[in-house]
Amino acid sequence: MRVRVERAKCVGHGRCYVLAPDVFEDDERGHCVVTREELPPELEEQARRGQQNCPEHAISISSD
Amino acid sequence: MAPVIDDAGRINLFHEEFARCPQPAYAQLRSRCPVGRSILTDAPVISRYEDVMWALRHPEIFSSEMELHMQLGTERPMIPQQIDPPAQTRYRRLLDPHFSRRKMEELAPGVARQARALIDGFVRDGECEFDAAFAIPLPCTAFLDLLGLPASDLGFFLELKDDIIRPHKGRPDVPHTELQPVRNAAGARNYEYFRRALDEREARPREDMLTALSRAEIDGERLSRNEILDICFLLLLAGLDTVTSTLGCNMTYLASNPEQRQRLLNDPKLIPGAVEELLRWETPVVAVPRLVKRNVTLSGVELKEGELATLLIGSANTDDEHFEDAQIVDFERERNIHAAFGAGPHRCLGSHLARMELRVAMEVWHERIPHYRIKPGEIPRFSPGIREALYLPLVWDV
Repeated sequence: MRVRVERAKCVGHGRCYVLAPDVFEDDERGHCVVTREELPPELEEQARRGQQNCPEHAISISSD
Repeated sequence: MAPVIDDAGRINLFHEEFARCPQPAYAQLRSRCPVGRSILTDAPVISRYEDVMWALRHPEIFSSEMELHMQLGTERPMIPQQIDPPAQTRYRRLLDPHFSRRKMEELAPGVARQARALIDGFVRDGECEFDAAFAIPLPCTAFLDLLGLPASDLGFFLELKDDIIRPHKGRPDVPHTELQPVRNAAGARNYEYFRRALDEREARPREDMLTALSRAEIDGERLSRNEILDICFLLLLAGLDTVTSTLGCNMTYLASNPEQRQRLLNDPKLIPGAVEELLRWETPVVAVPRLVKRNVTLSGVELKEGELATLLIGSANTDDEHFEDAQIVDFERERNIHAAFGAGPHRCLGSHLARMELRVAMEVWHERIPHYRIKPGEIPRFSPGIREALYLPLVWDV
């Protein structure tokens, strides 16, 4: 599983790095940075939680 | 009393009943007229989640550049709220780091201390009027700390923001149409205060946000004095009133729903989720205005260029078409992409500050006063506009 964030869509709600701190972190502006692009299985649920709670739909998780 | 929604499907956004309990009116609007009209201004009122979100993400059509329409006593647009991208983006790049979650979390211990000190002042009384005793002073003190202003100026700021946002408060006999001079005078006092505070910091720099703003640069150029004043004006209006209102809405809900409150007492780890869910359900900032820049169709209704549209955030946040079990308050909601802080480029600059203050306030309050209720025989009173619980008498056993 692979996580991506479309930085152009991120406006810094910060839901992802609060709900999924092992997958995302905040940059200086409070925008999203993916810290674990390749997801180990134990982080999938957390990552999905972060992705689902992005109000801008900026995060995607794919199986490639 | 006239109904919140009239026979033609138009809504009175300033109805007292609507301020107290808006959710039923939202549901009616969404099903009857997703793009309705305001009784008072005839402005279009947008109530579906999808439409509201779309509008928030399209500032080129739903513009925030409308300072003259707002009549908040400003001489220029507030920055960055009343400026659209691309200019707005440059200001946000400068301001966002000052309001990041990390920075705001550093303030949490101070907010907790302040919350405890406030509670110490009334806990043995077995009762308080929540708005005056807690909801108003807590965020205002945090705001002064954040900017680096003395706590002794609290009274000055409280009067100022009320004169601008709620000039009718304390002036019940003055007709609405005659309140504008009150706002303008307060606006002038606000500019003057910050002019002086900035002068002081230019002479003697300190470790505070105002000093940082006075030295800030965008693309190698210092911000002008007016730009800094226009930022400060917004911080005052946005930073004081909204968290106060949210605290009052949350406590009204928790005082009226003891089984939900018990869940927070059993497991305080639910508090952050409860903060999110109550932001969604209560949505104290009921609506935001946007100026329509060109004709556009939403839910089959055409909005015309030049109209001042009302985006009904509270209704979007309770839309059954978007949220599963939208009418149920669930502190463990898995997916909660509410718009209480807006969305798109104008996402609330202070959202991380607000979330921290709300979480800390809820934690400290429930540690100290876990069981409380609305004073028997009393009914909380809510202000129209931003839903502040102006009168919220709480009692507890001592």
